[in-house]
Amino acid sequence: MSAFAAFRQRRVRALIEQRPGPLVYAFLTAVLIASVFPFYWSFLIGSGDAGTLSDTSMPWTPGANFIANAGSVIDNESVNFWKALGNSVIVSSVIATSVVFFATLAGFAFAKGRFTGQKGLLVFVIGTMCVPTQLSVVPLFIAMSTFGWTGTLGAVIVPGLVTAFGVFWMTQYIAQALPDELVEAARIDGASMFRTFWHIAVPAARPAAAMLGLFTFIMSWTNFFWPFIALNQNNPTLPVALATLQANYFVDYSVVLAGALLATVPLLVLFVFAGRQLVEGIMRGAVKG
Amino acid sequence: MKRLRGAGRILGATVVAVLALAACASNNNPSSQDTGPITLTLATFNKFGYSDEMLAQYHKLHPNVTVVQNIAATSQAAQDNMFTKLAAGSGLGDVEAVEVDWLPKLKQYGNLFVDLSTSDTKSRWLDWKTQAATVNGKLIGAGTDIGPEAICYRSDAFAKAGLPSDPTGVAQLLNGDWNNYYAVGQRFAGANTGVAWFDSAGATFQGLANQHQNFFESNDGTVIATTNPDVKNAFVSVLNASAMSSAHLQEWSTDWNAGLANGAWATMLCPSWMLGVISGNGPKIKDWKIANVFPNGGGNWGGSYLTVPKQGKHTAAAKELALWLTAPEQQIAAFVTTGNYPSQVAAYANPALTGAKNPYFDNAPVGQIFADRAKAVKVTPYKGVKYAAIMQAVQDGLTRVESKKQSIDASWAQVVSDIKALG
Amino acid sequence: MTTSTLVAAKDLTRRGFGFRENFGRWDVKYSPYIFISPFFILFALVGVFPLLYTGWVSLHAWDLLGGEGEWTGFDNFAFVLQQRQFWVALRNTLSIFLISAVPQLIAATAIAAALDTNLRNRTFWRMSVLLPFVVMPVAVTLIFGSMFGERYGLVNRTLAEIGLGPIRWHTDPLASHIAIATMVNFRWTGYNALILLAGMQAIPRDLYEAATIDGATWLRRFFRITIPQLRPTIIFVIITATIGGLQIFDEPRLYDQNGLGGEDQQWMTMTIYLYKLGWTQLNFGRAAAVAWLLFLVIVAIGLINLVVTRRIATGDSPR
Repeated sequence: MSAFAAFRQRRVRALIEQRPGPLVYAFLTAVLIASVFPFYWSFLIGSGDAGTLSDTSMPWTPGANFIANAGSVIDNESVNFWKALGNSVIVSSVIATSVVFFATLAGFAFAKGRFTGQKGLLVFVIGTMCVPTQLSVVPLFIAMSTFGWTGTLGAVIVPGLVTAFGVFWMTQYIAQALPDELVEAARIDGASMFRTFWHIAVPAARPAAAMLGLFTFIMSWTNFFWPFIALNQNNPTLPVALATLQANYFVDYSVVLAGALLATVPLLVLFVFAGRQLVEGIMRGAVKG
Repeated sequence: MKRLRGAGRILGATVVAVLALAACASNNNPSSQDTGPITLTLATFNKFGYSDEMLAQYHKLHPNVTVVQNIAATSQAAQDNMFTKLAAGSGLGDVEAVEVDWLPKLKQYGNLFVDLSTSDTKSRWLDWKTQAATVNGKLIGAGTDIGPEAICYRSDAFAKAGLPSDPTGVAQLLNGDWNNYYAVGQRFAGANTGVAWFDSAGATFQGLANQHQNFFESNDGTVIATTNPDVKNAFVSVLNASAMSSAHLQEWSTDWNAGLANGAWATMLCPSWMLGVISGNGPKIKDWKIANVFPNGGGNWGGSYLTVPKQGKHTAAAKELALWLTAPEQQIAAFVTTGNYPSQVAAYANPALTGAKNPYFDNAPVGQIFADRAKAVKVTPYKGVKYAAIMQAVQDGLTRVESKKQSIDASWAQVVSDIKALG
Repeated sequence: MTTSTLVAAKDLTRRGFGFRENFGRWDVKYSPYIFISPFFILFALVGVFPLLYTGWVSLHAWDLLGGEGEWTGFDNFAFVLQQRQFWVALRNTLSIFLISAVPQLIAATAIAAALDTNLRNRTFWRMSVLLPFVVMPVAVTLIFGSMFGERYGLVNRTLAEIGLGPIRWHTDPLASHIAIATMVNFRWTGYNALILLAGMQAIPRDLYEAATIDGATWLRRFFRITIPQLRPTIIFVIITATIGGLQIFDEPRLYDQNGLGGEDQQWMTMTIYLYKLGWTQLNFGRAAAVAWLLFLVIVAIGLINLVVTRRIATGDSPR
């Protein structure tokens, strides 16, 4: 490459990599405001009283009742806030752990094993990613009623224990991140498949597993349809409990929105600590997907 | 053989009785089989008037029992929840409230509920109230309240429109049939007070519907709603009146709540339980009063029952609670808190009821007013299995016209097809 | 990470495990089946079986409380297909899906393009667009629902202030679809923007360099290089949005107090219709029929997507 060509390339690269203009920042700031506004709105109404929402001269600064309204959400016996929070933690943790474990196990087998029917089964898994599990509510409800599981956390946990997406995701990742030679080497050294899985595949898959776990946790935390059918006010998850706030007689929106904000806090905290990882995970998944 | 079996049954009964006596003697608590601390859930909707104090009082009487009340917003929400959990076989409250409109749907599954009759429940309620909750001789619902209707109105708005604004004057003004009520509405609308005459066609329609013996269904359960001229006439006449007089706010919607809080309409049909709704939603509006009158005589709107589903863990204790809550004393207390008028005969002679006044409604003598309104009720409407679903379809039709989406004819046609789709 | 696994491998080697050839061969051949079996067994139980059983239920008269009734063949399907409400539900579902997917995709692409520049505080901006993703749909609906009141809502009040007539967010079908789509978009736009951003960053930079040398403007580069290169990612986003979007329940369910999609079923989606038939009218047979019909709709749209993806994949995939 001539010196001139190198110079030109450097200039072009600089052109591409230059800092964006204020317009880009303005646009992103607008997006940021749109993202944050609903939070502020909830706080605004949630810190007012029953009349704030329909008040035509509503102030744009928060009132003083947020603690009181949040308190009345927590004290509301039909909302069962603490129980709902605990249940959500249990359900989401168990589901996330289970999905990650079984997906890593199956993903390792698909990515590094050699067995008859491998390709067909993998295609099946990918195909079933499109199966809308929500549509199985009718038989699930019949089954859970028959076993007497409705109203218990098992009814919500069991249908979520595995996902086709998880298997697909881990297969993709392990295939790419774990060199074949490493698996071969372990095998020649006499490690069993399970040992290889545990000592080589699992450490290698950790970033993807963390992402899958985080994603599954959030999805199951926010899930409403099936828990709403299978659970009840006495033993709810957070979304189910939150929905009863609006179903309460005489809807006091200051309480409803205080509750909506309150129910968001746990995932907000998670987001503060793991948001960066989540961003990376979503982006990594996209490239492979 | 038959006699032998009869003898065996007597023997069996005796054994049970002796055992029961022995059990009672040993634990000194004849009224309840659960002696450990238990929590009973009481599931209600809207306002039943079971205050925290009342539940605390029950706890005082039964120290081992703590009662937790779950309150659903609408009768519809409570209804959906009831059937889902009934099918699931779990998840219902120990005591579940049921509204008269969907009680028939529930009576099909009477075997899933505890028989609430005891020796002292025989003449506790008005006859028709008891009848409606009896399946094959089994009482599945303990009556709470009935909904005799008066008219609630905003006196300031009336005065502003140049109408009489004292309860007696308004009662005279509105004494007549529905056309009279609508006609006064036209006059009111002509005064341009900026306030509507009534809240919605849907709520007003309820008043008409409850004045017919067989409105939607004949006594054998056949659906006649689409062919009964009374239904279509009511539908059309309410909507014609609504064009000028209604606030067009669908009952129980967010906007309806906000409308009530902001005083968006001047009159509403006022079954006794509506008093609590009005005072709860309208602390800003201070001029609500009650007129001892109702278009076309009398009417009963709603009223509820408490049931004890068999799926509960403490059905005996739950039955005791349900019967305690529906005893005259408690229902009188509920009436004082929220205005739910008792269905218990013994309550009607009680001075605590007859002398009751409601401070929110300018100290109206509500005990007297609703006693009169209850006496004016002449018809006990037949409500079959599909009553609630048909009512929902008709209400949707009324809302469609009020929101100016459809003409009356088009909306009615859709109501007919929706009702047929229930088959 | 790769170094750490290498260390782990060396560890294994150093320790040395007992080598039994027979076991090893068996192990390699059959272990994969054991590894994948938990997934397949569980999936058969909670995924495949319910789907088939839905079919069984749909062919019977089936009461929520009464249980299985007589065999009715395809009566439930015939009944449902003749209902106005079914077609309204299908219309609403597709309409809400389109109204949410199309603007969402455009906005997400724009956001991704903005994030693809050489930003200061890159991580901050990326996280900021993902923030709405952590709010559960139930909360999103309660929050936005409180703004979309027809008479006393924030949105209409604001419109009135700038002299626009009130929009009937609950009465008008299209308006209600837009309101619901807004809730969906709030939660998912940033998420999809990140996926598209990842797709953008996978585009070889020399393509841009060549174009820049040729004097192409940013806008030209975006439409000539970025968008065509991004097509597979866009299709991935569309597929995931389709599967989720067609089953939408939470937002329409909580959009009003009754939760059945409005007096004219103006925002009643397929899943709400399914719920209404099964849990309000207690007719599980018909609910199951709707479930299968919705499944067929999703499969049909999925197949269309697949065909399109294939064609593009064989065309100009960046990979």
